[in-house]
Amino acid sequence: MLRIEDIGIFNAVRETGLARLTPPIPRITVSMGTCGQGNDAEEVYHALNTAIDRSGLDVMLVPVGCFGSCFLEPLVSVRLPGYPAVVLSRVQSNDAARILEGVPSGVMPADLIFCKIEEWDHITGHVRYGQGYPEIPLWNAIPFFKGQMKIVLRNCGLINPSDIEEFIGVGGYQALYKVLIDGRPETVIEQIKAARLRGRGGAGFLTGNKWDFLAKAKADSKYLICNADEGDPGAFMNRNEIEGDPHSLLEGMLIGAYATGATDGIIYVRAEYPLAVSRLKRAIEQAREYGLQGANILGRGFNFDIQIVEGAGAFVCGEETAMIASLEGHAGRPRPRPPYPAQHGLFGQPTNINNVETWYNIAPIITRGASWFAETGSAKSPGTKVFSLVGKIHNTGLVEMPLGTPLKSFIFDAGEGPVNGRRIKAVQTGGPSGGCIPATMLDTPVDYESLAQLGSIMGSGGMVVMDEDNCMVDVARYFVEFTHPESCGKCVPCRVGLDKALRILNAITRGNGTHELMEKLDELCRMVRESSLCGLGQSAPNPVLTTLRHFREEYEDHIVAHRCLAGVCQELTFSPCENSCPLHMNIPRFLTLYQEGRLEDAFVSVVLDNPLPASTGRVCQHPCDNRCRRQSFDEPLNIRDVHRFIADSIYQTDRFEPLVERVLARRLPATGHKIAVAGAGPTGLTAAFYLAMLGHEVTIFEEHSEAGGMLRFAIPEYRLPKSVLHRELELIERAGVTMRFNTRVGIDVDLNDLADQFDAVFLAIGTWKESWLYLAGTELRGVYPALQFLEALARHEEILVGSRVAIVGGGNAAIDSARQVLRMGARPTILYRRERKDMPAIDEEIQAAEEEGVRIVFLAAPHRILGDAKGNVKGIEIVKTRLGEYDKSGRRRPIPTDEVQRYECDNVILAVGETFDLDFCRASGLELKESGTIVADRYTYETSRANFYAGGDVITGASNVSNAMGSGKQAAMNIDERLMGARRWEQLFPEFHYGSQAPPEPRLSRRHAAHPLAAAVRVQSQQEVVAGLTAQDAMDESRRCLRCDLRTVVSAR
Amino acid sequence: MPTKTISVRIDGELIAAQEGQSILEVARAAGKNIPTLCYLKGLSPVGACRVCIVELAGTGRLLPSCTTPMQEGMSIITVSAKLELYRRLAVELLLVERNHVCSSCVSNGHCELQDLAQELGITHVRYAYNNPRMPVDMTHPRFVLDHNRCILCTRCVRTCAEVEGARVWEVAGRGIHSRIVCDLKDDWGAAENCTSCGKCIQSCPTGALAEKGFAVHEMVKETGKISRLAAQRSGHSNGAGLP
Repeated sequence: MLRIEDIGIFNAVRETGLARLTPPIPRITVSMGTCGQGNDAEEVYHALNTAIDRSGLDVMLVPVGCFGSCFLEPLVSVRLPGYPAVVLSRVQSNDAARILEGVPSGVMPADLIFCKIEEWDHITGHVRYGQGYPEIPLWNAIPFFKGQMKIVLRNCGLINPSDIEEFIGVGGYQALYKVLIDGRPETVIEQIKAARLRGRGGAGFLTGNKWDFLAKAKADSKYLICNADEGDPGAFMNRNEIEGDPHSLLEGMLIGAYATGATDGIIYVRAEYPLAVSRLKRAIEQAREYGLQGANILGRGFNFDIQIVEGAGAFVCGEETAMIASLEGHAGRPRPRPPYPAQHGLFGQPTNINNVETWYNIAPIITRGASWFAETGSAKSPGTKVFSLVGKIHNTGLVEMPLGTPLKSFIFDAGEGPVNGRRIKAVQTGGPSGGCIPATMLDTPVDYESLAQLGSIMGSGGMVVMDEDNCMVDVARYFVEFTHPESCGKCVPCRVGLDKALRILNAITRGNGTHELMEKLDELCRMVRESSLCGLGQSAPNPVLTTLRHFREEYEDHIVAHRCLAGVCQELTFSPCENSCPLHMNIPRFLTLYQEGRLEDAFVSVVLDNPLPASTGRVCQHPCDNRCRRQSFDEPLNIRDVHRFIADSIYQTDRFEPLVERVLARRLPATGHKIAVAGAGPTGLTAAFYLAMLGHEVTIFEEHSEAGGMLRFAIPEYRLPKSVLHRELELIERAGVTMRFNTRVGIDVDLNDLADQFDAVFLAIGTWKESWLYLAGTELRGVYPALQFLEALARHEEILVGSRVAIVGGGNAAIDSARQVLRMGARPTILYRRERKDMPAIDEEIQAAEEEGVRIVFLAAPHRILGDAKGNVKGIEIVKTRLGEYDKSGRRRPIPTDEVQRYECDNVILAVGETFDLDFCRASGLELKESGTIVADRYTYETSRANFYAGGDVITGASNVSNAMGSGKQAAMNIDERLMGARRWEQLFPEFHYGSQAPPEPRLSRRHAAHPLAAAVRVQSQQEVVAGLTAQDAMDESRRCLRCDLRTVVSAR
Repeated sequence: MPTKTISVRIDGELIAAQEGQSILEVARAAGKNIPTLCYLKGLSPVGACRVCIVELAGTGRLLPSCTTPMQEGMSIITVSAKLELYRRLAVELLLVERNHVCSSCVSNGHCELQDLAQELGITHVRYAYNNPRMPVDMTHPRFVLDHNRCILCTRCVRTCAEVEGARVWEVAGRGIHSRIVCDLKDDWGAAENCTSCGKCIQSCPTGALAEKGFAVHEMVKETGKISRLAAQRSGHSNGAGLP
C-alpha cells in the first residue's frame, strides 16, 4: 500500500501504472462491463486464464470496461510488446485457445479481428502501444468510431477499473493534484465557467454557475452529490462510464469539492447497477488507501469523503429535490423550487447535484484548459455528449460525439443505418422525458436548444432508433405507461393527468379512439407539461406531444381506419402479412384453404380479396415478405407465388367458368346508381370490380384501346404474359363493368358532363407522363422516354434501337427497358446515380437483369447526350458522383465530381420517374397539391368536389401496382358507403370455415421459389421468365405458415 | 425580523409587497382572487393541486402562487384563458379521479372542491370517470376516512404534523395509487399515535375526513380554526408568546 503524500510518490505510481498498460509481456484485456458480461465475457475471461496457465506463457490478463461498441461484445484486446493492441470482437470462450496459440507468433485469429489501437489520447495522458499490423484497420477508421471524440469515455475499455495505478498511469488524479497545488478554489470555478460546461443530466444548466452558488453559500456543511440514478429505458451511459472508469468520477467530485468548499460527497446510484456499485466501492477503498479520500488528500491538507447511497429504483428520485428527500430518508417526492438546493438542500444545507457525466468532464477541462474544451462542440453547447445508441440500428453502443453533430451522423455514420433494409422512422431522444424526432428531421444538430425546439430533450443521453415496425402511438403509450406509475402522486396534473393520458392512448391503440379523444389528449398533455410540479411531470408528456406533432397520421390511421400499419397494436392487426398488404388480403385464410386441399375455395378467397391475383402474383413488390414472422425463424413465406399458383391453376382449367359464376353470385342486387371510373389501370379496375359487385352500374373511361394500364402497356410480356391479364380482365368485365376505350377524361369527355350523368366519379388515371430530364441533347433522334418505349413494344409497334443503348434511371421502368433492349438484340447499359442498394426497382428484377447481362454503371449522373451532325444520338456523357450526406429518404445524396466519362451509344432511354398532366382537373374545380397530385382524403378518397373521388397514383404520386389496387379497393368501399348511406362491404364476402389449429412446432425449412428460365434462353424471346411454383412446392410453402392470425386466449387469473 | 419592501406587478397593477411573501399572499392582500385548494393558511404550502397557478408575464411560465416567493420586479398574471383552462382541467381531473358523489356526501354544500368547481364554471367533466373501488375506514370511534372523497391535498398530513405534532397521517404509494395512510398503514382505530383531536377533520376540504353521526349535507368544516391554531403554534415556536 502506497499513500501518496508528495509528487515523488505520485510520479512513481504513475510510472508503475503506465508500465502496466504497456508491459514487456503480452497484455490481454477482456471488456467486462455489463454489456460484456451479458455476452459471456466472464466465461471468456476464465477460458483465457485457463489457456494462459496451460500455455505456460507469461501473459498479463486484465478485465477492463466497455469500449463503446456493445454490439461486438465480448471484446478482447491483445497487445504484444512493441505492437499495437489488437481488438478482437465477439470472442467466445472456445476462442481462447486459438488466441493464446497466436500470442508467441503474433498471429491473431483473422475472423475475430476488429481493429487495432496504436496510441491512445487519454486527454489527461497519452499511451503509445506500438506500430504494426498494417492490414488491420485503426480503431478510428472503423465507421462506428470515426466521428467520435472520446473525452468522457477517455479511459473506458482501456484501463482496469479496479486498478487505481493504471488510472494514475494515464494521467488520473493529476488534475486534482494540479488544483490542490496551485489552484485557488475561485480559479477552478472560473475555469469551469470559462469552459461553459453544461449539466449533462439533460437540463443543461451551466455547471460553473451552480458551483459558484454553492461556493458562495455559507454553512457548516455543504453537500456535493453525484446523480447516478440513471433510469431511462434504453439509456446506460452512466452505468458503463462508472463500470469502466470509476476513478474519473471520484476525481471530478474531489475537484468540485475543493472548488466549492463542500464537506461531504454522496454518489446516489441505482441499486439496479450492482457492477457499477461494486466497482465504485472498490475505487473508493483504493482511493482511501492511496490517500485520495478522507483526510489530508495528496498531502495537501484537503479533506473530503465520498459515500455511496443506493437508490431504491424510483424514477422520480433522479429529480434533485426528490433525490434529496430520498437521501434524508423520506419518500422520494419532489418539492417546488425555490428554494433551490444551493440554498436549502440536503438536511437544509447548501447542496449541489451534478450528473455522472458532468463530473467526467472536470479533469479534462483542468488538464487541457477551458479554451480547449470550449472549442469542441458547438458555440452554445461546448464539449461532447455520450449517447447510448439502441433500437433498430446496425451498431448499438455508446457513442460520444461533439455536441452540435447532426443526428444523422449518429444514425448513419456511427450506427451504420437501419437493419434488414428497413427504413428508419424516428429517433427517440431523452427517454420517457424526451420526444420522437421524425426521420425527415435528422439534419437536426444534437444540442440542448435544437432538440428542445422539436419538442424533445437531450436528456441524459438515450437515443432509441425506430423503424417501420414501431408504431408511434404505441411508443407514446409505452412511455406514458412507464412514467405514470413513476409519478410520485403529489401534484394533480402528473398523478391524474398521466393516468388519463394512458387511458386515452390505450383506447386509441385498441381501436376505440376518436378525433375528440385525440384533441383532449393533446390539451391534457399540454396542461400536464406546463403545470406539473417537477421535471417528471413537465417532461412525461413529451413522447405524446411529439408523436402527435410529427406522426399525427399514425394516430389518425388508428382512429379512422382502425389500422396499425406497423402491426404492433394487437387489436388492430389481423396478421402481419394481411396488415402489410395494400389490398389486405386474408393471407392465412387462403394458405389454409389450399393446405386443406380446397383449391376452389382458396381461389374464391383470393379473387374476392384481390381481383388481379395472377398479375399481382407476378409483379407485386410483396411487402408481406418483409413482415412475415417466419423470417425470424428461417425465411419468409413466398406468399406472392402461392396466390399466383392458386389463380393460375384455376385460369388454366375448365373450373374457371363455374368459379366465375360462384364469385358473381356474391354480387349484390342492382342499386340503380351509376358510377364513372376514369382509367382502366390497376386502381380503376379494382374499384370498378368492387363497385360492380356492390350492385352499381359502372363505366370505365380509358384513354388506351385496351384495359390494364401499366400492367398492359408498361410491364413487359416476359414478366406478365398478356394472356394471364386477359383472363383476369374477363372476370372484371363479367362483374358488370362497361369499358369505353379511346376516351380521355377531361378531353374527350368533360368532367362536368360526367358529373351530370353519374352519381359518383372516381378518378384513377395514373401517372402516364414520363418525367423529363432537362439535359442537353434530349431533342436528338434516338432519345426515348421509358414509358413510351415500353408501350410501343407492348403494342408491337416498330421502335428501333441501335446496337448500344444507354438507360438512365434505377426504377422498375429502367430495368424493364434494359431487359427489353436485350431481347431486341442490343446491348443495354443502365446509368444510375446512386448505389445498387439504393435502386428503387424490385431486387429480384435487378438480379435477373444482371444475370441476363445488363450492365449497370453506378454513381453515374447524366451530363449531356451527344449527337452527330445528322441529329442522331451518338453517345452520352456522365458525371461520376460520390455519395455525400444522407437525405430524407435515408439514402446518401449523390454529389457530382469533376470526373466526366463518355459512353458511346445509339439510343438513350430516360427512366427517371413518372408524373402526370392533371391541368384539366383544376379547370373542373378539383383542388391539386403543389406536387401536382389531386387533393383527396386519405381515408374516404373524396376530392374537393362533391361526388368526385380520386385514388391511386393521382393522389399519391407514382407508386406500384398493389398500392394502386389497395387504393381502388378502399375507395370502392367508401364510395358505396357514401352512396348507400350504410356499410354493405362485408356482405360481398362469403364465410369460409377453415382450420383454426395452430400449426405444430415449426421445423427449419427453405422458402420455395419459382424457377426462372436460364438467362441465355430467356433473352431470346418474350417467353415468361419465371414459371410458377409446382403444386407440391405451393403446398409445402403454404404449410410453412405460422398462422399469426390465431389468438390464443389466455384466461385471466 | 425587519423585511424589505419590494415592488411587483399583479395583472399590470403596481403593488408593494414584503420580501419573502408568496405570490398568493401578496395577491390576496391586494384583493386579488386566486383560487386555491391544497393551500390552507397557516400550514406550509406544498403546491400540489396546481389550482393556484399564475403566469409569469413575458415568459408564459406557470408558477404555483402558494409556494413561489415574490421577488423584486416580478410581474404576475392571475387571469388568462390558459390559466382558466388549466385550473378547470386540474379540478376536472380531481373530479374524475375518485368517486365524488355530492348527493351522498356529508360535505355536500360545504365542500371546497364543490365550491371551486362552481367558481370555475364546471358543470360537467369531459373525461371518463375512473370509478375506482376505494375503501372507507370506519374503525375510529368518532371519525371516518372515506378515500372516495380524498383529493390528496395533504392538509390533514400537514395539520397533524405541524399543528398537532402527532404525525399520524402520511401518503403511501405512487402515482394514481397514492393514498393517505394512518400510522404506517394501520386502521385508524388502531393508530396509537392518533390523539383523536379531530383537527385533520376540520382541515379537510372535502368529505374525505368527517365526524361520525352526520348525514348528507351536515358536515361543516371549521378550517379557520386550524389557521388560527397554526398561527398561534408558529408564534410559540418563534418564542413570541401568545398573541
